Amino acid sequence: MLRGVDLDLPPHTVVRVEGVNGSGKSTLLRLLAGIDTPTEGSLTGRPRTAYVPERFPAALPFTATGYLLHLGRIHGLGRAAAQSAATEWLERFGITEYARTPLTRLSKGTSQKIAVAQALLAAPELLILDEAWTGLDTAARATLDGAVAERVAAGATAVFVDHDPRRLADAVGEVHRVEGTALVAVEAVREESGPRVRIEAAGPPGAVLPAHLPGAPGRETGLDSTTLTVAAVHSDALLRALLTSRPPWHIRGVAHLVPEDR
Amino acid sequence: MTALLRYQTALLLRSQRWLPPVLLYGIFLAAGAQGGDPVLDSLGVAAAALLPVTAWLVRICATQEPPAARHCTAAATSPARVHLSCLGAASGCAAVLAVAGTAVITAMSDATSTDHQIAVPRLPAATAGLLAALVCALVGAALGALLTWPVLRSTGWSVTATALASLLALVASGSPAHSAVYGLVTGSQTGTVHLPLLSLTASAAIVAAATAVVCRLASRHG
Repeated sequence: MLRGVDLDLPPHTVVRVEGVNGSGKSTLLRLLAGIDTPTEGSLTGRPRTAYVPERFPAALPFTATGYLLHLGRIHGLGRAAAQSAATEWLERFGITEYARTPLTRLSKGTSQKIAVAQALLAAPELLILDEAWTGLDTAARATLDGAVAERVAAGATAVFVDHDPRRLADAVGEVHRVEGTALVAVEAVREESGPRVRIEAAGPPGAVLPAHLPGAPGRETGLDSTTLTVAAVHSDALLRALLTSRPPWHIRGVAHLVPEDR
Repeated sequence: MTALLRYQTALLLRSQRWLPPVLLYGIFLAAGAQGGDPVLDSLGVAAAALLPVTAWLVRICATQEPPAARHCTAAATSPARVHLSCLGAASGCAAVLAVAGTAVITAMSDATSTDHQIAVPRLPAATAGLLAALVCALVGAALGALLTWPVLRSTGWSVTATALASLLALVASGSPAHSAVYGLVTGSQTGTVHLPLLSLTASAAIVAAATAVVCRLASRHG
């Protein structure tokens, strides 16, 4: 279906794959995830990979936690780490109450949250999302957006397909479109019209901002503080980067900026 | 690999899909071996019964994970490892059956030759019976693996082919399973215990080759 695909996946990058229905986007994602092998050619490098399918089957004889524990171990975590990661992601998606519910009794949306959680458990270096947002509620979509931004800030690569053209619009670094049997690079247009967050931070005397801040924030240096403006999706990752940098930065204020025209 | 094996085994045991093949094994034993029968004859029946049962267990394990779930585990490890763990889970279950079946048969059978004239020591008989059961389990695993996903994807053909191939593997001379069972049954007539070591080696080689082929195919599209 696809021929002559030459794709390099750099770290710290969100890659969007576009194409009409049935064009082979999902096939490409499965090749990148190492689930299928190409008939010709090869993949080099095998980062720690996680994959989120579009529709996650509930037909597995485990509870939500039971499944996440198994997957955590399969992703290479130890028993205790798998346990705490499973708890953490159930909490982040607000589904702690379903921890002991059999997967077969979960709603479609909650099942999809489990599918997303299993991928994020072990902090993958390559995150492949095949319309992972489908079926998630608004809050869970925002959590997933934030989690992708967080992984990418930590050096991972995220490759995704989604029918919503605005999905992660302010985080996408590369866009590729499947056209016929070829994969064509498309100019990535950073979407600046989404909600943004302004962070006022002050560093210790003489400190410079860390390089490669998540979301490449716009910065204004004031007398005794720096104002950073970043797409809302990156704000958590940016705050974390500032607070955990050495020496740590002090956060003076955070403001949510809503675009005027929306 | 251990985590995958644990996951596949949990899938098998929690799904209750193991029940039909295990019941079939029980029926074979109940029908083919009575208390007081000559031990080697009954062990031959038990070993032969394990071949189709293992093939069935492998079929169950190879197809038990829904595709989307398999994609998640395959991305985290590799399709070949996921498939290897399926075969491992099924073989582990068959090994448990082999040990349990051999123990029960050895305990309830008469430790004599077929004509009840010559004494057959129980421990060597049980050892030979267990090895023969393992030979049959390995041949069954190889057949099951070659005749289901990802080689044969149609359920109907897969079941038919597995059933016929299992029968053939038991009756065709030259098959390690046939010679292992035959060794027990002929040994029973003279009261001698043959350890099927050659058959065990041959069946291990067969299952290794079959595993290599099917695991390689596991990453083929679909």
